[in-house]
Amino acid sequence: MRDVYVLGIGQTIFGKHDSLTVNDLGAAAALAAVKDAGISPKELKVAYCGTMFSPPTPVQSILFHLGADRIPMYTVENACASGSSAVHLLFQEVALGVRDVGIALGVESLSAFNRKFGKGLLAIEGDLQGKLALTMPSFFAKLCNRLMEKRGATIEDICYPSVKNHKAGMTNPYSQYKTEVTVESIMASPMIADPITVLQCCPQSDGAAAVIICSEEYYKQHNKKAHRPPVRIAGSVISVSGAEDVSYDPLAMQVVIKGAKDACEMAGVDPQKDIDVVELHDAFSGEELAAYEMLGLCEPGEGVAFARSRAVELGGRCPVNPSGGLLSMGHPLGASGVRVVNDIARQLWGEAGVNQVEGARVGLAQMLGGVLTGIESPVVAGIQILMI
Amino acid sequence: MSKQVVFYPGALEERDGKLVQMGHKCKDCGKTSYPAVELCPFCSSENVERVPLSTTGTVFSYSITRVPVGPFKPPIIGGYIDLPEGTRVFGQIHAKAEEMKTGMKVKVRTGVIWTEKDGTEVIGYHYVPCETGSGGA
Ligand SMILES: [Zn+2]
Repeated sequence: MRDVYVLGIGQTIFGKHDSLTVNDLGAAAALAAVKDAGISPKELKVAYCGTMFSPPTPVQSILFHLGADRIPMYTVENACASGSSAVHLLFQEVALGVRDVGIALGVESLSAFNRKFGKGLLAIEGDLQGKLALTMPSFFAKLCNRLMEKRGATIEDICYPSVKNHKAGMTNPYSQYKTEVTVESIMASPMIADPITVLQCCPQSDGAAAVIICSEEYYKQHNKKAHRPPVRIAGSVISVSGAEDVSYDPLAMQVVIKGAKDACEMAGVDPQKDIDVVELHDAFSGEELAAYEMLGLCEPGEGVAFARSRAVELGGRCPVNPSGGLLSMGHPLGASGVRVVNDIARQLWGEAGVNQVEGARVGLAQMLGGVLTGIESPVVAGIQILMI
Repeated sequence: MSKQVVFYPGALEERDGKLVQMGHKCKDCGKTSYPAVELCPFCSSENVERVPLSTTGTVFSYSITRVPVGPFKPPIIGGYIDLPEGTRVFGQIHAKAEEMKTGMKVKVRTGVIWTEKDGTEVIGYHYVPCETGSGGA
């Protein structure tokens, strides 16, 4: 396997872009990424795009805007890990020596989705549990209830990631929300599924992100930003769950635990010591609280104590979602898996502005997608580890 | 009589005049899966037989949804029910919010779970607490 480097990143502001198509959004992110990389779009040798609800062949249509054509292009769908999967497949091609440089895109327009299918909670078509009204909030409400029962989490603990991430998002120029929230305002917002209120859920968003990934040789020849420390993708894993029985514990999802462990082994890092910053899938505030221990940032069962120690805030041992996370950045489904990789690269380059984690050298980007029940519909975790 | 359909193909079957949830028991690994799929989802064995699921179980975890979802009006109590054969089943629980508890015993009820606009009755299942017996509609 060859070393794989991040040459450039780009994204749109996340939020409501009602007048823009996925092609417009994707093109804006792709153009920003090639400009950041300082290469011509004609240099790209392969392209991957993660998306859930776009029209067919979005990647061809997006890159047509840039004159990037006549190269292999693929659109991949893996729920919220669609963007992670695009990054992973491009990583593999470069690592295995198939191509020297390519682009991984992620794009979504929930505005377009809502125009087509109407607003409301997304239930999965044809899924037994979905037909019986299992939704993402109701699944994560069970997770929150279990965090309170088994881990001693309080409502304050459950709300903590939302408070922290909304605060961080206020100073991120790309974020959808610019509003601080408190435990009181969170719990005063409309209840979706006890104890999950609206302000514990990520918003519906439109947006796109793109990253240019290349080989070491290509990086040496083309990198024009000498001030940036070279950032390498040292580990990349796509982890999928399977059939589960009554032994399944949603506080110890093997798909996340094993995915993170494999990615850390691949990169040769110890998550408790070496990882300086994390961007993860906080679609719900309680989901982030449950993730700390599954990613190995602390001992199993210690996630709530880890949060209470403020280790996950700026200035703490391992800040989590200093971008503002999905909760404040927004969550254009297919784009988020690319966006988290970009945000980790930005941190390692020292370009994260007021949300900079000082001295960050190793970062982990995680996404989790699927119905999450583990019974009928397996889930997928995408994990990338970047380092300098 | 209005037209009736099962909410999920193969999830329920009529046996001795009663609708029962039908899963697959694997004769190789011993696990029972629900809903039934082609092979055992645990070990890929073809050696599976259709079996009725246990009609009682315990609540592994639950949540109460306060907004409408599809044809269902809030509050919607949904939970994972652990069956004695080791299978975890998702279902709605018709109970009062204040009587809900993790670990409580529930039993299954089958029947109409919603009616389509054209009058088609959709047949499914839900759980009710064992203690109070009848539960909601
Ligand atoms: Zn089996």
